[in-house]
Amino acid sequence: MADYRELWTSLNMDLEKHDQLCEVLPELYGGVYLTQENRPEGMNYFNFVVSEVHGLRIAELDKHRKEGGKVLGTFCVFVPDEVILAANAISVGLCGGSQFWVPDGEKVLPRNMCPLIKAAVGAKISGTCPYFQSCDMLVGETTCDGKKKAWEILNEYVPVHVMDLPQMKRTKDYAMWMDEIKIFIEKVEELTGNKITVDNLKKAIEVCNAKRRALKRLYNFRKITPSPISGLDALLISQISFYDDPVRFTEKVNELCDELEERAKEMKAEGKKRIMITGTPMALPNWKLHHIIENLPAEVVVEETCTGTRYFENEVDAEGETIEALIKNMADRYLNINCACFTPNDGRVEDVLRYAEEYKVDGVIYYNLSFCHTYSVEYKKVEEALKKAGIPIMNIETDYSTEDSGQIKTRVEAFLEMI
Amino acid sequence: MDNIKHYILFPSYNTGLALEGFLKKEKIKYTIVPTPRELSTCCGISIQYNKADEERISEIVKVNSIDIIGFYSLQKEYKDLYLGQNKE
Repeated sequence: MADYRELWTSLNMDLEKHDQLCEVLPELYGGVYLTQENRPEGMNYFNFVVSEVHGLRIAELDKHRKEGGKVLGTFCVFVPDEVILAANAISVGLCGGSQFWVPDGEKVLPRNMCPLIKAAVGAKISGTCPYFQSCDMLVGETTCDGKKKAWEILNEYVPVHVMDLPQMKRTKDYAMWMDEIKIFIEKVEELTGNKITVDNLKKAIEVCNAKRRALKRLYNFRKITPSPISGLDALLISQISFYDDPVRFTEKVNELCDELEERAKEMKAEGKKRIMITGTPMALPNWKLHHIIENLPAEVVVEETCTGTRYFENEVDAEGETIEALIKNMADRYLNINCACFTPNDGRVEDVLRYAEEYKVDGVIYYNLSFCHTYSVEYKKVEEALKKAGIPIMNIETDYSTEDSGQIKTRVEAFLEMI
Repeated sequence: MDNIKHYILFPSYNTGLALEGFLKKEKIKYTIVPTPRELSTCCGISIQYNKADEERISEIVKVNSIDIIGFYSLQKEYKDLYLGQNKE
């Protein structure tokens, strides 16, 4: 077996505590993923990535840094990966999805805060996440008050650059976001020592667009009844897309899609209810809700979340002969994401209604991480619109603990019977 | 004995991927899995296979001099850590 302990030690990790995490992963993954029947063979690549999650990819980041490259950690789909890639740096998504990190997060954060922030901060301060330990800089943003203040704490451990995301979508907000992207470019140039040019930025845009296209292609297969891929598997791929090498990832997703094309012809409908999840992100390894739903006669066919459609919908236009033109293209694409941090956010309601039709959903489950206020408040608007359209919806507020799993299962069961 | 699962362990992921290439070519069913803790405390990949294919795989390993740690069998049920049930 490959021994990564030397590498982890060089990253100042708490090996003993990290080992507890390593102990859980094969069991958790086995119980959720490997017990699924008739998975596509192309999922073997993603099994591989999960098995090597703290190994091979970390070794790749290490190699990159030894060769003078930089690694940037991000937490939000608004942070433009194109800029990071253009400067020959690597971007890794750092959102924490495990209860394992929550107690450490609660040492420095209030308990009544969303588990995603608590887990991310806990992962850093406990020294048990090799991705955090590999980062030369973190890129925060202002999508919620909790994150905004957490950056100040994380900045004590590793430099954090915060992008000020506007909360409205007026012309002046576009101008402000373009300015933020410009400042980010300067910051990345300063960190990496590499100049961002029209040429390398265009190439990076192409890489990111190709990845978006592959994810979109994958999601398009889920519009078929029955979906040739489970919601759990699609979720895993979305989660992996945040930290895997983008070119290799795109290639593997497309290979899988070629297989799904054949599978779709052979699969027969089993009468499973088709469910959309809308709401807050599900960071690795948060598979709780999908697992509960798909152990019932139902399949998750689309996620209107940051670990779903919001990450890949719309491409950045690569046409433009100046950095300014490309910055505008990026701002146009990114500000088209409909996050609950914006007011108003009617675009999200429109997205949910459109996906309900495109993915032929029987019902919608609104997924709200505890204490995420913007999404929690926005439930009312989404509920009203869906009721008007005659689409059943239920609201589930939960965190990363397993205590309420049985209760959620009972509620989802009742919901499925009702629709 | 039920629930016996079969795994091949590797000294590094490279040799695992090398074997995967041959299994694919020979159309032998396999699954890449995280190495069960019962077999090793180091993280990393293993290949789970069907017992019926063991001889063929063993031959492939020999002919192509693929570096493996060995073939292992384990009585194993996966635990459902969310809902608390055991599954095969």
